Amino acid sequence: MLVSWELLKNFIDIEPLDLTPEALAERLTFSGAEVEGITYTAGKIKGVVAARIDALEPHPTEKKYLVAHLNTGTGEHVCVTSATNVKKGDLVFYAGAGAVLPNGMELGTRDFHGVESFGMMLSAEELGLHDVDDPSGLLILPTDARPGDKAENLYHIGDVILDVSITPNRGDLLSILGMAREIKGLYPKSVLNTPEWLTPLKQDKEWPEEFGNISLPDKGCLCYRLGLATGAKMAPSPLTIKIDLAHLGMRPIINAVDVTNYVMMMLGQPLHAFDLNTLPAREITVRAAHENEKMMTLDGKERLLTEKDMLITSGGEAIALAGVMGGEQTGINDDTSTIVIESACFSPIRVGHTSRRLGINSEAAFRFSRTVDPNLSRTALLAATNLIKEWCGAEVDYRPLFAENEISEPKPVKLTRKKLSTYLSWDNMSEAEKILDGFGIKYIKGNNDEKIFMPPTSRPDITIEEDLIEEVGRFIGYNDVAEKLPGELPRRADIGMGMELSGFVRNSLIARGYTEVVTYSFLPEDFPEKLRLSSDDVRAKPLKIANPISRDQMAMRTTLLPGLLTGLKTAITSGWRDPVRIFEQGKIFLFDNTEIEHVAGILFNGADTRSPFDNRAENFYNIKADVEALIMSRGFVPVFKAGQEPFTHAGQTADIFVNKNKIGFVARLKPAIEQELDASGVYAFEIDLTLLANKNKPVFTPSSQFPASFRDISLLVSIDRSNDEVMKDISASVSEAAGNELTLEKLRLFDIYEGKGIPEGFRSLAYSLAYRSHDRTLKDEEVEQVHNNVRESLKRKGYVIR
Amino acid sequence: MPELEGLNINAVKENFNAALKAVTNLAGLDDLRVRFTGKKGDLTLLLRSLGKLPAELRKEAGLELNKLRDEIENKIELARQKIRDAENEKKEIDERIDVTLPEKGRTAGAFHPVMQTMHEIVNIMQGLGYSVATGPEKEEEFYNFECLNVPSWHPARDMQDTFYFPDGTLLRTHTSPVQIRSMLKYGAPLRIICPGKVYRRDNDTTHSPMFNQMEGLLIDKNVPFSVMKGTMSEMLNAFFGRSLKYRFRASYFPFTEPSMELDIECVECSGHDEHCRVCHGTGWLEVVGMGMVHPNVIRAGKIDPEIYNGFAFGIGLDRMAMLKYGISDLRLLFDGNISYFMSGFNSGKSEEAGGSKSC
Repeated sequence: MLVSWELLKNFIDIEPLDLTPEALAERLTFSGAEVEGITYTAGKIKGVVAARIDALEPHPTEKKYLVAHLNTGTGEHVCVTSATNVKKGDLVFYAGAGAVLPNGMELGTRDFHGVESFGMMLSAEELGLHDVDDPSGLLILPTDARPGDKAENLYHIGDVILDVSITPNRGDLLSILGMAREIKGLYPKSVLNTPEWLTPLKQDKEWPEEFGNISLPDKGCLCYRLGLATGAKMAPSPLTIKIDLAHLGMRPIINAVDVTNYVMMMLGQPLHAFDLNTLPAREITVRAAHENEKMMTLDGKERLLTEKDMLITSGGEAIALAGVMGGEQTGINDDTSTIVIESACFSPIRVGHTSRRLGINSEAAFRFSRTVDPNLSRTALLAATNLIKEWCGAEVDYRPLFAENEISEPKPVKLTRKKLSTYLSWDNMSEAEKILDGFGIKYIKGNNDEKIFMPPTSRPDITIEEDLIEEVGRFIGYNDVAEKLPGELPRRADIGMGMELSGFVRNSLIARGYTEVVTYSFLPEDFPEKLRLSSDDVRAKPLKIANPISRDQMAMRTTLLPGLLTGLKTAITSGWRDPVRIFEQGKIFLFDNTEIEHVAGILFNGADTRSPFDNRAENFYNIKADVEALIMSRGFVPVFKAGQEPFTHAGQTADIFVNKNKIGFVARLKPAIEQELDASGVYAFEIDLTLLANKNKPVFTPSSQFPASFRDISLLVSIDRSNDEVMKDISASVSEAAGNELTLEKLRLFDIYEGKGIPEGFRSLAYSLAYRSHDRTLKDEEVEQVHNNVRESLKRKGYVIR
Repeated sequence: MPELEGLNINAVKENFNAALKAVTNLAGLDDLRVRFTGKKGDLTLLLRSLGKLPAELRKEAGLELNKLRDEIENKIELARQKIRDAENEKKEIDERIDVTLPEKGRTAGAFHPVMQTMHEIVNIMQGLGYSVATGPEKEEEFYNFECLNVPSWHPARDMQDTFYFPDGTLLRTHTSPVQIRSMLKYGAPLRIICPGKVYRRDNDTTHSPMFNQMEGLLIDKNVPFSVMKGTMSEMLNAFFGRSLKYRFRASYFPFTEPSMELDIECVECSGHDEHCRVCHGTGWLEVVGMGMVHPNVIRAGKIDPEIYNGFAFGIGLDRMAMLKYGISDLRLLFDGNISYFMSGFNSGKSEEAGGSKSC
């Protein structure tokens, strides 16, 4: 909301008199209406004055130029122009040699083919006024301008504009009047005034042609007024008004339309002016739209309506989408002479729904959806009528037409000293009463402990005690209140399993050299295809956002992998040649509306694996170690089994099991996907963290006091047989051979050999076995015997002992 | 004692001392030990011959000889120590390496600044008695808006452009719905924080469609504004590690009344740099939105606002992270690109070393 310092003067004499716009801005900002900028509209202007053209003659040699002799009251100046819209006797703005334009440009003298020209005569654009006048011609001043007067003192050229951010609860501040009332509240010694154009008019004449009913079957139209002006002459508005509108960010159009915009900016009441002769009938009905009814709004778009929308109709034809936007055919044109002014009030709920659904954020909809004071419609119509009379020379003595529905009145609100004191640590009730009065909230009755107040109709946001406390709070400020901490704790603070787990996972992986990343929860629509997920995979049916910003952020992730791969791709593309180890933890979203906490990571050796030591490349077994460490330090023992994901290497994928439940995978990616990433050797894991949320309490068994005995065994094994299976066989053989006499405390693979001396299709696996008893020192012969039995047992199982 | 005179104690001592001086290595020292204290060593022979002495001399000679044996053994031990020290010293010199060569194996991982910020603030708030509460990210309109005093027509919805799903649910636009869910679940009194991802339909250099927030809520009897103030200053000072100036501005949120925004002094320039890239010369940074919980919201949480009141605040974790770690573009935080994090966060380490860090 742009607020003009000059226009504020219509409504308020600010006290203190020396209050600067900057000081006001600070006060407004701290009391809830943040001022985002202050603009001095005349900028760096210096030495620009009004001047009369005393003589105007053609340039002696160049046809396209005119030579003007200007009177500035203090002397005569020669100035050459190429503009064609001036004549002798016209008043213009003149910037002589040495003068400075609002944009900082300093003028000098210039030779125009033998004629020396001092400075220049200005167009509106050159004064920094956009849309105010024809940019190709000079700005011609009204005839009452006095030569020599400074431009910045004329026609509000030198205004100060505050750009104020208005919160949605304060629709009342969307006008100069509203801002004036707010300033009165913040500076209670200020005096509010009524401008001249709100002087009551004698309006008792019947309309020249009969106008039927205004009927409001839709209760969403709180009131509806029509005023009439006849014999209006369409012309540009007065220069000051055009400049005011431009400063407030509105384009001046034509006087009758400018009136409606000007009144809206001044009072906050959206108005609509239309040509009586374009009305389909002499009757107005405000009704709910029919489901699927269509209407063409004045921006040329056809709108499909619902029963929640409200239409203004005439003779059954929709002429406006109530409170939101006018229709196409009823606008003012250059030939209009009979103007109907509509001043109505619509329910914020209804206008809010319509404007949100259709995405129309017109000035009117913006205001109505933030609540417009229903009492304003009468005042605004009076203002518009007065101004049309003045600017358009129209006849306006006609009795306004009027209809209304039930309008809810403000209700009294109680303020107690107890609550005031609790909230603000401040309880001066009489001071509070004065503060509220400044904001127009009137004291009705009460005592020092409890007072009843009545908010004005312009403040529908004041409905409960806390609202009154806020008015007081924002007046006195929150900065002086003492700091305290709450007393006794309600209960032990618990960061919860999820937060605890999240901290655990990140600490664990960061310690193992992974970098934590966060990627978007939404993925490109086609991510399931990219991952080769089959259609019956639960991950292939992501939830989709109905109104995405782009197709790349449309499908809710069902796996964390694509985000990580995008990160990897970005790193590679940006020239990163080192290893990439990244992980993310976060939610995945499934079609059945479950949200599951996952962690996923990738390991890539980088394009350049050279190192002054041995080659630094890592492989499947490295990432497997990371996953195992993460799960084991959580107190669980993971089991890895050969597995398969649609996007992983058929020969290098393990499913991860905890307590017999599959919780994820660790794998190398499919060669085709690696090729798409332009990376060779990309390993990944993804784990559902649900099962790990509860820490498994480890069972402690004291280690044996007695020494272990070590034996090695080397087996020739078919390559189809996994290490896991072989280890199980060895363990079983030990139990068989030893019974309860001793235990196999540790079984560790220490060598794998294939090649010379080993038959095709076989490999040699060598294990170290640690035998131990927890109650005695084992004798050598005893161990030897057990170990021999183990060898025999393994032979029976079909192993060849090497 | 002619036999004994041939093996004069002093002669043995002098012989030993002379021989010790000539020893340069452990092998030589071992030979020396055998020569004097070995089975057939000079000293051993002397000791053996003690028995042949008359009783009155035996005692004195025995003491002398034992003394000498101790002396020899000590000297040999000292010499052994010395030689070993010299050898080890040489070994260390021979085994000297270039410790500025790069480390072998993996280098450290790195935290994500926003997640780090989240965990830091959770820790701080846990110390103040706040438990962590959670809620779904795919949320119902009811919890995200209706319960928070924002009906569908309300213009405050313009403040939060929303992602919807075809079934009418939405991606939560703030962490505030967890306020309601927690009040319904735990009742009063209550002290919770809720960190998490939130989503809005916005995408430019200062807005990301996904970002991170932390909601805080305290509900109790007769909660004054001063407690919210104290809590904020405790939290922010602990997070930034110093005592910051701050100020409150009145503001508006549909779910709090009164509402305010908190500005802290610029953490970059403390208001001393009019060209500061962080505060743009204002000296202040807007970091927290808050207020006393609106009675309608307390009521929506099935708690009686006549008995209980409280305050709520919402803090942008991304912004806090950006301020603390000096990050300028929000969107860089979510592209998963390791090069940003590693070069951005580990560069401090490599400044002195003069080389860039691999990982």
